[in-house]
Amino acid sequence: MIYLIDHNDSFTHNVVHQFSLFDKVECDNYNNISKNKLEKASAIVLSPGPGSPKSYPITSKIYRKFKGKKKIIGICLGFQQILFCEGAKIVEQKKIYHGFQSNIQVISDKSLFKKGKKFKVGRYHSLKLKEPFKIKDFEITMRCLESKVAMSFENNKNKIYGFQFHPESFLTINGNLLIKKILSA
Amino acid sequence: MNITNQLTQLHNSGKPYIIYKSNKGFNLYTDFSKKIILNNKNIYSFLNKKKKIKKSKNTDLFIGFFGYELLNNLIGIKIPKQKNINLPKGIFYKPEIKISLPNNLNYRDDNCAKKKNNFKININKKSYSKIFDKFKKKIKSGETYQIKICTKYKTISKINPLDFFCRLSKTNLAPEAFMIKDKNYSIISCSPENLVTKKGSLITTKPIAGTVKKNKNMNKIKALNYFKKNIKETKEHNMIVDMERNDLSRICKVGTVKLSKAKVVEEYKDLFHYVSLIKGKLKKNTKNIDVIKAMMPGGSVIGCPKINTLNLLNNQEKENRNIYTGSFGYIKFNGDMRFNIIIRSILNFKNISEISVASGVVVDSNVQHEFNENYIKAKALIDLFK
Repeated sequence: MIYLIDHNDSFTHNVVHQFSLFDKVECDNYNNISKNKLEKASAIVLSPGPGSPKSYPITSKIYRKFKGKKKIIGICLGFQQILFCEGAKIVEQKKIYHGFQSNIQVISDKSLFKKGKKFKVGRYHSLKLKEPFKIKDFEITMRCLESKVAMSFENNKNKIYGFQFHPESFLTINGNLLIKKILSA
Repeated sequence: MNITNQLTQLHNSGKPYIIYKSNKGFNLYTDFSKKIILNNKNIYSFLNKKKKIKKSKNTDLFIGFFGYELLNNLIGIKIPKQKNINLPKGIFYKPEIKISLPNNLNYRDDNCAKKKNNFKININKKSYSKIFDKFKKKIKSGETYQIKICTKYKTISKINPLDFFCRLSKTNLAPEAFMIKDKNYSIISCSPENLVTKKGSLITTKPIAGTVKKNKNMNKIKALNYFKKNIKETKEHNMIVDMERNDLSRICKVGTVKLSKAKVVEEYKDLFHYVSLIKGKLKKNTKNIDVIKAMMPGGSVIGCPKINTLNLLNNQEKENRNIYTGSFGYIKFNGDMRFNIIIRSILNFKNISEISVASGVVVDSNVQHEFNENYIKAKALIDLFK
């Protein structure tokens, strides 16, 4: 079972449907988390949502508790939340991407995906990861071709993954394949 | 007696009635055997009403509206104290008569009091500017991705709603147009937007984001190019498509939510709309209330993400939205339903007419443009008062 933590977003149920293609999904709001479900889950997914990681201390706590013990996947805010917990700074960006389709590319040979591969993806984010960014075992694996902003990270040692873009958006081509690969990693 | 005379007679009789756009023309509903005034409590029993019918009739339905506040409360959002004219939060009627009307409604009331345009706006440009900047900051910090600020135009007036509605339909034959005439209030609307159509387990929603006026130089192909090139409209549209997919996904089976028309242009009498059509198949045992809670209030007129944006809006807006961005439509006894989003409407209550409009703040919108856009939207309705 995959446990999805919702941060009051209007895209969460697209994520639920996407992950449900591969496994049973349970979804609860971040302030209504079931300990039982957390323990039972094989993977925890942190949903997109408004605001910044600072506003969700409960989610940070969950991340810290289960890091290394369960697979954790963050999407958009979830991506930022994980990096924030690892000490990264999340900052406002000049150009804002809401409802934007971008071309991104796999830039690392440590990725589950083939280096050089390009994707078309949907983006909804005001904030971004501040770089340079260096944390043990965390690798930035995809970047926006135009702005070079970090679009995904992988920590294959602890099985922690994050996407700054939205794999569940209709703007993302082959989003299901991305999720399938991460889930089978 | 021909249809026009029948309508005129009904109107003059003072009996309440409702007109709603159909595929071929309009449907007229009247002879109401029940009128249900909705509140936060009785809405549950109203929506869960199940009627067994031996022989189904075309009047086996409740028709009416859910106001904006009621729809907020239904999803657990409280609205702070606002200026309120105390219009009921929602009203539904059980009709006993349904009559088909043609598109071409002929009714004129030349005696109907037409006053000079003395509408007053509730937010002037300076305050609008301030609110606009405040929300732009909220977008930059990621608290909302898009937000639609409502402004209101009001005037004291008695109106003849049928006269208004007939004239409005002549210039703008909108696919979700409706009017309600009751003893103490009336609503006239040329809403273009269908929020929910449910038949059996099939459900669709048809968000609109992007409108352009028809003229000699603007045909369907050019309109599509115009929308495609307009990055702001495209981004707003994308966001609404993902949001509506999300809302349908709450109540639909996994894998059934499909974008069946993605960003196409639809042609109406005077306008082109940039629309998408999203379909899904409902999960078993989905109740009416689940559908209403998942889909309403309609995302395209609020912004995104819904909950946070509603809270931001409600804390900002000093006056109750009443019917504006609520939903009008019907629920059949068998659970099928059709609901629109109430926009482009005039509410006349206690001899005050109000017209509400909103336009979206996204990160690259321009305050002057949006303020004017609001006025243009209101003007089409204000002009009916001339």
